[in-house]
Amino acid sequence: MALALQRTLALAVSPLTTLAVAGLLRFWLRLRVEDREAARRSWRAIWRAREGPLLVCANHLTMIDSALIAWALAPPLWYVRHFSALPWNVPERTHFASTLTQRVLAYLFKCLPIVRGGSRDEVADTLARFAFLVSRGEAGLIFPEGGRSRTGRVEVENAAWGVGRIVKSLPGCRVLCVYLRGERQHGYSGAPARGDRLFVSLSTLEPKSDHAGLRGSRDVARQIAARLAEMEREHFAKHGLPSAPAEVRI
Amino acid sequence: MTKSEIFDRVVKILTPYVKNQEALASVSEKTHILDELKVNSARLVDVVLEFEDAFDIEIADEDVDSVETVGNAVELIEAKLG
Repeated sequence: MALALQRTLALAVSPLTTLAVAGLLRFWLRLRVEDREAARRSWRAIWRAREGPLLVCANHLTMIDSALIAWALAPPLWYVRHFSALPWNVPERTHFASTLTQRVLAYLFKCLPIVRGGSRDEVADTLARFAFLVSRGEAGLIFPEGGRSRTGRVEVENAAWGVGRIVKSLPGCRVLCVYLRGERQHGYSGAPARGDRLFVSLSTLEPKSDHAGLRGSRDVARQIAARLAEMEREHFAKHGLPSAPAEVRI
Repeated sequence: MTKSEIFDRVVKILTPYVKNQEALASVSEKTHILDELKVNSARLVDVVLEFEDAFDIEIADEDVDSVETVGNAVELIEAKLG
């Protein structure tokens, strides 16, 4: 009920919120997505062809990755018409929901704030609500590494097993791995460098594990992180290493 | 196996994952694994899997949610050992 209300209110303001975010990224940060139309075509095809739950898993380098990914994959008003495709997020509460304004914005941007490393019961409850939404056909976005990568590279060993637990709890769940990185994104930062050129690649995966329980959850989480690491290697092979350090405070 | 023996083995398993060595020096059942010992939450599952192997028990995904302190881990293992 509470989630349905959140979705309804978020949908009601979505023409404004999605356009505002797209405007900020495009005109304030002056970001560009390389080969954007191809990425958007792929996302639309994956979204339309889905037959079960779809979880988006991405690498994590900036605090606005969720917005960057949504913006890179579809025009703002497309999400108004396909609101289920605008992914739910589980952002860190201390960064995105510590003030009333932040909490209102997080609510309207389909966020379920979480305290990473906080009360296990609270984390489990939030992830269960997140999994419920994904099971009902809503897109969900999660960063398998938990936080932004401190090394600037995908760290397979740091994959949070909770991602595997979510996937295992959703029969037939497909995972869309998204690797997104700015041309000047050396390490982690608040946002990409102003005027940066973003590269995005997509790869679908249906992780499976022969292990049960925790071992299975960890196995699934590592398969997803390993795919992201593979996409990272392909990214660097194709586009080279970042050209200059990037750090933008937001 | 006594509770004290379980506690000692739990601490031994936790040790390589602990970032706050000072907290480890005064570890007790009340010590919080993530907040005080500063074990990376992503590695908590590795710790719990080591509990499974060391004590020859099976721990369900949901059981991990109840593990916040060293004492919680000891109680969980004790319950699994029957």
